[in-house]
Amino acid sequence: MITTVEGLRQAALAIRKDLLELCSLQTIHIGGDLSVTDVMTVLWQYQMHYDPQDIHAEDRDRFVLSKGHASAVTSFNQAAIGCFDREDVLREYATDGGRFSMHSCRLVNPFVEVSTGSLGHGFPVACGMAAGLRLKHNDTSRVYVVMGDGEQSEGSVWEAAMNAAHLKLGNLVAIIDLNGLEADGSIYELTGLDSVAEKYRSFGWRVCEFDGHDIAEIKRQFDSLPPASSETPTVFVCHTVKGKGVPFMEDQPRWHAGRITREQYEEALRTLDERG
Amino acid sequence: MSSMKKRCVHWTKGADSMDFTEKVFLRDVIGEHMTALGRADERVVMVNADLMGTCRCRGFAEAFPERSFNVGIAEQNMVSFAAGLAHEGFVPYVFSMVPFITMRACEQCRTDVAYAGLPVRFIAPYAGLSGGISGATHWGIEDCAIMGAMPGMTVLEPCDPRQAEQMLDVSRSCEGPVYLRCSVEPVVRVYGEDYQFQTGKADTVREGQDGAFLCAGITVKYALMAAEAVAEQTGKQIRVVDMHTFKPLDREAVLRAAETGHVIAAQDHVRIGGLGYAAAAVLAEAGVQTQFRILGVPDVFETMAHAPYLYHKFGYDDAGLTAAMLELLG
Repeated sequence: MITTVEGLRQAALAIRKDLLELCSLQTIHIGGDLSVTDVMTVLWQYQMHYDPQDIHAEDRDRFVLSKGHASAVTSFNQAAIGCFDREDVLREYATDGGRFSMHSCRLVNPFVEVSTGSLGHGFPVACGMAAGLRLKHNDTSRVYVVMGDGEQSEGSVWEAAMNAAHLKLGNLVAIIDLNGLEADGSIYELTGLDSVAEKYRSFGWRVCEFDGHDIAEIKRQFDSLPPASSETPTVFVCHTVKGKGVPFMEDQPRWHAGRITREQYEEALRTLDERG
Repeated sequence: MSSMKKRCVHWTKGADSMDFTEKVFLRDVIGEHMTALGRADERVVMVNADLMGTCRCRGFAEAFPERSFNVGIAEQNMVSFAAGLAHEGFVPYVFSMVPFITMRACEQCRTDVAYAGLPVRFIAPYAGLSGGISGATHWGIEDCAIMGAMPGMTVLEPCDPRQAEQMLDVSRSCEGPVYLRCSVEPVVRVYGEDYQFQTGKADTVREGQDGAFLCAGITVKYALMAAEAVAEQTGKQIRVVDMHTFKPLDREAVLRAAETGHVIAAQDHVRIGGLGYAAAAVLAEAGVQTQFRILGVPDVFETMAHAPYLYHKFGYDDAGLTAAMLELLG
């Protein structure tokens, strides 16, 4: 576990480099991987109670990647805590017989709690898991679920949002990667999402809205979570930039998914190192 | 049928007489038995979407309020939520009408439950046209085709109260997901005390060598009545095979039926993708020739009516089955 803000910053930088290396080998959902990298790094490398040596431990925290296309950033964070080697991800991602797919799949990767990919599924499954924990009188584990902002258009998201608040699932933490872009462009031009924070607030959630690239703030928000035994689910509305850290990718729908050339990879690495 | 009580001359399953005027409602039986299931196994939980009364779930909910979840009219969430409970080690029984499980929440059944291989059990009343006067929105006529297509999904259809209870008992420890469709039309008692349900093993409920009805659910009753009528009119003995497991289908039972030379598959389901299609595939793959008819819902949307009227119109009530078999026998 990394406990310092500076340590987590360096860890997030390492994850970005991993992602870009993979992106130079394979098409990945690089834009949404980079936007959620900081919050995922703090979640996996600081916040979550999860032992790679005992992945079925009852007292573990659960993780559900509802935006299942962010599988690469998840896998590299899991590699960082010892689930497998980062080289395994680079070698096996999206290969025949490989453990790491474009969308998280538990059939081949036991570190995936829930197979995802189709949007609007992971969140209601996570609600069921949180309710299951309550039924087992597990008052310490949390369920963390990461969603995209475009995903908020799915009706099933709001079915689950209503249900989670009604069932008082204070052990459920939803994280929304509000990068403002979906596959076809701006979510504000494509949908009527407007203020997602207001919507969750009106559904009875505890809403925390902050800069999803500010490691210190992300850590502070995790530190401030009410206990799992509390009665109000929490949502983090994380303001992020799609493609964060790589100037030619930032805020560009083109980089929802793609592969970069060797030159682009080297340019991106230089920029990352310069920015620190 | 003309007489009040009909004796099944080749009855094999314990009961030696049947009362075709009896009215047994499977959803009542299932609802009541769920309480016993809950008592036997604390992993059993119930998930519903505002159809507690319709699905007869109130008994369970009163006995086990903490294990009963009513998510409101949100079937997608109902199924995904149940998947989440199953991930945590529970055995969720999900109740809603056929169309709302299999179509509204189709992708949730497939992706969140079947893909994950989770032990979620879908219990779906309103199978076939039994929703009758509610109209096509509430009919469940495509469900076997839909759910049967999902890898790893077991698909069941009870015709009798004892069988329905045993299906529930067996489902408790089944690997992977189970879908159980259930008519809300009244059925009769088909099986005796010694009946033992076995998944994937069809039951011959009436012996016969001159022809065979392959049937399931409500059509078992009609096939028994039709077999009796054919015997009365022609002296020929028609086998009645209860194909209670749509998937995995009992291939041997289909092939044995074909040895009679006259096979009618009848199910309260669209013909396309239903029991008849599944049986036809078995016959074709085995290269077996037989006279063969598929009875069920034709490829049209019909307007609302009471179920028996529709069964008669589409030719798979007792009269329809009798006429079809007489025609097949020539």
